[in-house]
Amino acid sequence: MSDDTIQKAADLLHKAYRTGKACEPVRDLLPEGDVDAAYAVQEINTERRLANGARMVGRKIGLTSKLVQKQLGVDRPDFGILFADMSMPDGEEVETSSLLAPRVEAEITYVLEKDINFEKPTNSEVIDAIAYATPSIEIVDSRIKDWNIKIQDTVADNASAVLYVLGNQKIKIENFDGRMCGMVMECQGEPVSVGAGAACLGHPINAVRWLAEEMVNRGRPLSAGDVVMSGALGPMVGVEAGQVYEVRINGLGSVRTAFAV
Amino acid sequence: MSKNIDKLAKIVFDAQINATAISQLSETESFTLEEAYRVQAKSIDMRLAAGEHRVGMKMGFTSRAKMVQMGVDDMIWGRLTNLMLVEDGGEIDISNYVHPRVEPEIAYLLKAPLSGPLSTVEAWNAVEAIAPAMEIIDSRYENFKFTVEDVVADNSSSSGFIIGPWCKPDSDIANLGMVMEFEGRAVQIGSSAAILGHPARSLAAASRMTAEDGETLEAGWIVLAGGATAAEALYEGVSVRNTVEGLGSCSFGVAK
Repeated sequence: MSDDTIQKAADLLHKAYRTGKACEPVRDLLPEGDVDAAYAVQEINTERRLANGARMVGRKIGLTSKLVQKQLGVDRPDFGILFADMSMPDGEEVETSSLLAPRVEAEITYVLEKDINFEKPTNSEVIDAIAYATPSIEIVDSRIKDWNIKIQDTVADNASAVLYVLGNQKIKIENFDGRMCGMVMECQGEPVSVGAGAACLGHPINAVRWLAEEMVNRGRPLSAGDVVMSGALGPMVGVEAGQVYEVRINGLGSVRTAFAV
Repeated sequence: MSKNIDKLAKIVFDAQINATAISQLSETESFTLEEAYRVQAKSIDMRLAAGEHRVGMKMGFTSRAKMVQMGVDDMIWGRLTNLMLVEDGGEIDISNYVHPRVEPEIAYLLKAPLSGPLSTVEAWNAVEAIAPAMEIIDSRYENFKFTVEDVVADNSSSSGFIIGPWCKPDSDIANLGMVMEFEGRAVQIGSSAAILGHPARSLAAASRMTAEDGETLEAGWIVLAGGATAAEALYEGVSVRNTVEGLGSCSFGVAK
């Protein structure tokens, strides 16, 4: 792999992000199946956004469902960077026209109170580092035209992250069942996506542990205050302009997002 | 039509008792949904005459997606008998079924009769206990293909059910996580919210729909609220467990 092609892929995605016009898949620019090359693309644009003044506030974990992993032909999750300017307040309207083909998914978000800056953290060490959990909605969108993505495309494209909505609750993790908690996303009073904590790698803490180790290995370890969106608890749903989506997670409460007509 | 009702009821009765696949009744006979429920009632009467007894009822098509898929705008229901009960932790013999599938459910035990249209609060007041449950559905139609009239005539595919530990109905059951496992691995993950947005609505609907057929839900009966996820095909040797958040789990196996 050459640095030139990595840079070229990063430039294509950054241009799509800046102009709001989708680009062609970048996988053909990268060595086939080389996910590290895709992360190198992501890293270039992370540095670019940080240099432009963006503030990094956490990470999102993707591909945490066995079914989605199968669809993309992978056996592990992926991650993207969350910046402060991607955060939407609970219930506030999203400017739908600024997005390409947005989709929403329901997740448990954990906020850390300790750094996890050591190799091979265990689940108990991760649990010990968590301050609280809150229900959340991730709005994903692909800068790649028509969501024509394979694993390298989504990883290079910051794991298709675009916006996120966190609940305003601070729930101690001993106060709900992370594996069994029910999740329902409603639109106009109808359930449009249902699931439970177990849909995220068997338990969302498993996903956070994976991320914590991955971030140590990649040189951006998780630190106190970081927001970690742990992965979808049910199928993602295509957004329709004008709709309101409410997510309820048992024991955690609810959070909502609205899309302008 | 009454002759045809008897004839159709005998066809589904034989198919249920002998676990044989039949072609769709609607291919050769034209009958309404109302007549389909009469076929179902008649075929269950034949089972009761052969020694079974009623223990409750089951709801089906309890998700909007399923109704849209089937092109209907209401749920369907079927009758449960004692012979359909599989003990929690028990084993079934797959040769007693045509092509069985299983879906995770929640069950109600009634302490008072319910009849006619009523609110979910009134329905809830008649609940003695709730339990994690599973339903074994086994359409007697070839390839699981049917019209809504066909499936209703065939007891809404009901063929077996498993009930876990009964729990006091003192918690909010609106959004309980449900995980159904085959051999210890999750195959379906969902929430009780998938059942009409709240499973208590299914009980109210059960009261309304059975009354339309002149039935009362009796104290002591079991009501299955409806599938919370898609159904999974059973196979020889598989062990199955459904765990419901806060209620515990129930399980059964298919003999090798």
